[in-house]
Amino acid sequence: MTVYAPLELNRLSSRAEFEALVERAKARWDALWNGDHTVVTVGVGSSSIAKGALDVLAACQQAAAGQPIIVRQVGVDGADWMEVQVQVKRPGAPTVYYGNVEPHEIPDLLAGLLQSKAVGVDGDVAYEGIPPLKEHPFFKYQHRIVLRDVGVIDPESIEDALARGAYSAYLKVLFDLTPEETIAEVTAANLRGRGGAGFPAGVKWESGRKARATPKFVVCNSHEGEPNVYKDRRIHEGDPHRILEGILIACIAVGAERGYNYIGGEYPLAIKRFRKAVQDAERLGLIGKNVLGSGKDVEFRVRTGGGAYICGEGSALMYSIMGVRGQPRTKPPRSVEEGIWKRPTVANNTETLSNIRDIINNGGAWYASIGTEKSAGTKLMTVQGKLKTMGLVEVPMGITLRTLIEEVWGGMRDGYKFKGIQTGGVSAGPLKEEHLDRPVDFDSLTDLGGMLGSGGFVVFDDTVCAVDFARYLTAFNRFESCSKCVPCSRGNPALVEILDRIRFGRGSLSDLALIERTSKHIIELSLCGLGQVAPMPLLGMMKMYPEEFRAHIVDGVCPTGTCPIGSRQTAATTAAAAD
Amino acid sequence: MTQHVSPTANRKEIDLDEVREIMSHFKPRDYQEAQELILSALQEINERFGWVSLEAAEIVAEHLGTTANRIYGLLTFYADFRTEPRGNHFMLLCHGMSCYVAGSSRLVQELADRYGIRDGETTADGELTVQVVNGCLGVCDRAPIVKLDDKYYGNLTVESFNEAIQRAIAAGKSGESAK
Repeated sequence: MTVYAPLELNRLSSRAEFEALVERAKARWDALWNGDHTVVTVGVGSSSIAKGALDVLAACQQAAAGQPIIVRQVGVDGADWMEVQVQVKRPGAPTVYYGNVEPHEIPDLLAGLLQSKAVGVDGDVAYEGIPPLKEHPFFKYQHRIVLRDVGVIDPESIEDALARGAYSAYLKVLFDLTPEETIAEVTAANLRGRGGAGFPAGVKWESGRKARATPKFVVCNSHEGEPNVYKDRRIHEGDPHRILEGILIACIAVGAERGYNYIGGEYPLAIKRFRKAVQDAERLGLIGKNVLGSGKDVEFRVRTGGGAYICGEGSALMYSIMGVRGQPRTKPPRSVEEGIWKRPTVANNTETLSNIRDIINNGGAWYASIGTEKSAGTKLMTVQGKLKTMGLVEVPMGITLRTLIEEVWGGMRDGYKFKGIQTGGVSAGPLKEEHLDRPVDFDSLTDLGGMLGSGGFVVFDDTVCAVDFARYLTAFNRFESCSKCVPCSRGNPALVEILDRIRFGRGSLSDLALIERTSKHIIELSLCGLGQVAPMPLLGMMKMYPEEFRAHIVDGVCPTGTCPIGSRQTAATTAAAAD
Repeated sequence: MTQHVSPTANRKEIDLDEVREIMSHFKPRDYQEAQELILSALQEINERFGWVSLEAAEIVAEHLGTTANRIYGLLTFYADFRTEPRGNHFMLLCHGMSCYVAGSSRLVQELADRYGIRDGETTADGELTVQVVNGCLGVCDRAPIVKLDDKYYGNLTVESFNEAIQRAIAAGKSGESAK
């Protein structure tokens, strides 16, 4: 139908031309939602495709043929538990969200015969007995800034993005603000790095701006190689322009000639949608020489990784961009002095850069007022494990783990009992039931050996053995060690070997001291940040579940029956197979 | 990562003209950009053919002004690349934390016990190649999950896992350009 046809995209040479295009995009968006037609929206992302989203989309398109129905796709909004999600907006009615839709149900759904699968409606009031979606516990606690348009706009349509305010902050930074003022807003926002380290982004930008060597670069770290995090992938799949805008603003603020986005190679759909976003932005002249007649130039390149966890480390990532093995180097010099091609390079996490648009538009003080004093703003959090309503959420910093687990993520599925929650991916330890009332922010979990990290949590139930889990986490670090420095490349295999001894019932109490000693070597002597935290999950497991380690060693039993103690499997096959 | 491919496995040849065609889209403007493009080029070839042969690596090296040696260094460092052809069917076995806590170790064990393969290896009959994903396939609520050829199989038990493999093998080859 013509109301939602793509707009003609030509190179824009002035601010006025850009603003005129935004007006057209907004008119197109309004026409989409206020016509005499039905709008059917399917959430299509890598997670929902695995559940048949493309078949659902095809079924919708088939059912819409010849009807006054517009079918569109959006990214997945984080509610994995209700995938495949279909939103239906009928004339004069609010949008209704349907969950767990199968392709064959589409005709019924469009005929209004599938109300049992309606999860919620848009807006503040119930409609035909369906409660507002935002009152669902999964959405109730969320404060969506980064995810505001994820699941709302078509990620492959720059028109949708423009109608929802994309590049409005970029425009300000190009024309209204000086680089100093831009950085001052980011500093005032107290925006800390969302990749795990929590380093203030404003400080980093400031050192980047002050660095004297040229050219300078900005890199967005979208590698996300941890075995438990999928937040950045979802932003790429749902709202790529938000990331691109953040990178471009960073380029202008620090005076960088080129921006990069380094995306993990495991994310084909994220790469595809992000490349499309870059192409569209180039077509409009938002990237290139003399952007919108502002006299400012900015270049952009997308680079993809090859499945090496270590490339999430800043210097390794830059080596990977330069086409060599991603192995970290000693610091200083920091990358903001010597990064890509030995030039000053500012590296930020995807989520950090995705907050920039709203910080520039609403002011740093606004952002700092969200969350806690030391950890401002919101955080994307993902969870894994046997929970009822799993998915990606964006919540204010300072929410408690208990609220997250029991309400937002719906508590444990029937038949599973909560045992602990692994925090900080493969870089920190687990927490137990009694720690769940702690607020979640950058600093509140560290004294217990936990960590917010990049916001990935794994809830495990009482069928998971602490020793085996510790081995899994240590084996991950062993596999992903880049082999450059000896403490990490030799130390982690040694830890796995000791753990295997314990798992096979051949451990002794002195092994626990040996683990502590070996870990100390790895922590103190490893070259990069990832090596320095590699033994943390193991140490955390030993701290939280000492009785399980003792049971393996002293009593010769695995309390959960996971480990090969007492079974007939040979050491060689199991150890090899579990890699 | 060791990769054993049996001599009976279907050795898929890489069409070098196709490689040259892929490379013609890479147009570096300077030496630095050429180096930045090496990984991207290898990824495209790896995705198209499922592996990167020495001959393909040489074409990439020549086009981007580097050596096959350096390319081999990259292929063996980054886990996504293969230097041997895949079997008829290709499985990504997610071994992320969600899948681990849901029991993916049992699937890894089953591959070793029943099919005799470990990460990166191909069965002796050349039917199945497995790659254990250390990261995350991102479909955590259906853990443990595998992607076999183009389809996802979630909430797996050892039985349904075997069933999925047998069904895929019975259905025949997944096509020349294993995705």
